[in-house]
Amino acid sequence: MSGVLDFFTNTLGGLWSDSGLHALFADGGWKNLIMILVSFVFMYLAIAKGFEPLLLLPISFGMLLTNLPMAGLYHPELWVLVDGHVNYGEVLKEGGLLDILYLGVKLQLYPPLIFLGIGCMTDFSPLIANPKSFLLGAAAQGGIFFTFVVAGLLGFTAAEAGSIAIIGGADGPTAIYVSTRLLTGGGAITTGNIALAAYTYMALVPIIQPPIMKALTSKKERSVKMEQLRTVSKTEKIIFPIAVTIIVSLLVPSAAPLVGMLMFGNLLKESGVAARLIDTAQNALMNIITIFLGVSVGATTKADQIINIKFGGVMLLGVIAFSLGTACGLVFGKIMYKVTGGKVNPLIGSAGVSAVPMAARISQKVGAETDPTNFLLMHAMGPNVAGVIGSAVAAGVLLSVIG
Amino acid sequence: MLSFPVMLADKVLHGTEKLDGTQIVSMTIIGLLVVFCALLILVVFLCVSGGIFKKASGGSQKAAPKKDAPKPAPAAKAPAPAAKAAVPKASAPAAPASGEDEEIIAVIMAAISAMGAAEGKQYQLRSVRQVTRGGSGRSVWAQAGVLDATRPF
Repeated sequence: MSGVLDFFTNTLGGLWSDSGLHALFADGGWKNLIMILVSFVFMYLAIAKGFEPLLLLPISFGMLLTNLPMAGLYHPELWVLVDGHVNYGEVLKEGGLLDILYLGVKLQLYPPLIFLGIGCMTDFSPLIANPKSFLLGAAAQGGIFFTFVVAGLLGFTAAEAGSIAIIGGADGPTAIYVSTRLLTGGGAITTGNIALAAYTYMALVPIIQPPIMKALTSKKERSVKMEQLRTVSKTEKIIFPIAVTIIVSLLVPSAAPLVGMLMFGNLLKESGVAARLIDTAQNALMNIITIFLGVSVGATTKADQIINIKFGGVMLLGVIAFSLGTACGLVFGKIMYKVTGGKVNPLIGSAGVSAVPMAARISQKVGAETDPTNFLLMHAMGPNVAGVIGSAVAAGVLLSVIG
Repeated sequence: MLSFPVMLADKVLHGTEKLDGTQIVSMTIIGLLVVFCALLILVVFLCVSGGIFKKASGGSQKAAPKKDAPKPAPAAKAPAPAAKAAVPKASAPAAPASGEDEEIIAVIMAAISAMGAAEGKQYQLRSVRQVTRGGSGRSVWAQAGVLDATRPF
């Protein structure tokens, strides 16, 4: 009888020690618990508040899955470099589901494919009609480089500073692309940290940008009604992606995967002869990659990699980067307002931080608050899509310089 | 001071090293310069190509009216019969503002006459004037379209 009881208690004890609940209350388990709660907050923001739900929901669920102890879906130890390389054979042999999905992030496949879909969905007409918008898109990248200064002065390494700075580009795929390439040393900051910060702030664009926009512009400047944009011919729309690919790739080759795929997608759209490919790229493929990217990036947010002081630094510098990018775009918008004799509404400058199309919507919204008959949306779309190209170029510069 | 070609040739900042003041300043200036130069080249390209396309489309637009030039004269008498066709008792034709398309005036008159016929009344279109809008310069329909498209934002 006692043998049966011993067997019973031993089995129960074994089951308990192998369970996630035991691990949750074991040493350091509280960190997992916190991360699970954080994932709930993100789910709430995505579902109840509608903040970037297509990305925030997969990321938050990936965060939940990876922080469930003993589930074994993702193994950070498999991604530690051995002799400067990841042992991909080991990943395929020992990895969980999320390790396999993370291969697309690590091999930098997902961000360019997302850009392909974005290219299919983007209309560059406002930019082609008003090429000066490119300058606003360039100015907003000041957020990236000024944050690089702050991060460098705070003692972050070159790779960490570059990865944090790219958050200022307000472009999730670009941030993931750059941080995956730069953060290879297994330091305290991971791609998951950067992606989390980038997507958090992108989701918070409607909260972060308006106060800065109102603080840096006068009511008179915000009331400027811009001239209607000219109609862009189909030939111009077809030439544009080809020209941008050639010019940018020749100048900054490291930006070619992102800009090349963005422009390829746009060429598919504008050519008007590849309806099936466009349909796949902007719907099925885009959705599949978004799910894979979101869940696998969420998986990299293991509690011990997130709950540390450096991640606090990333979040702080992230919001600085975002705010500086917005401010730089606005300041350049004000310069253009002066130079053109009041023909440019400076509010469209803040849309230069990418975050398509949310940043342009904010320009429209703030403009309409000042004058409800003012329609800035199409004018703001120019700097907005220019910001996508600008942040890809800035990413190329960072990747070219930091090794 | 670091020069950009050198930086592109070898990655001069090692990812694991901490940055000194010179590196930070150089990187910031070079980064901003490269981004601005790249996008400035695109601005120049778009301005040049846009100018060429504008000229090309402007030329074809100028050529087009010449072909259609004889049309307005025969259409000048169109409004009254058109209005009468809609409602025989409808009144005299309006005095069209210079440059207004007479066919459009006929359509407006026909619509007003039809409305009047339903109520048993007769209306007279005395003049059609262009309204000067101080704002965007969009037509009422374009304004309504823009409003409809941007209301959710």
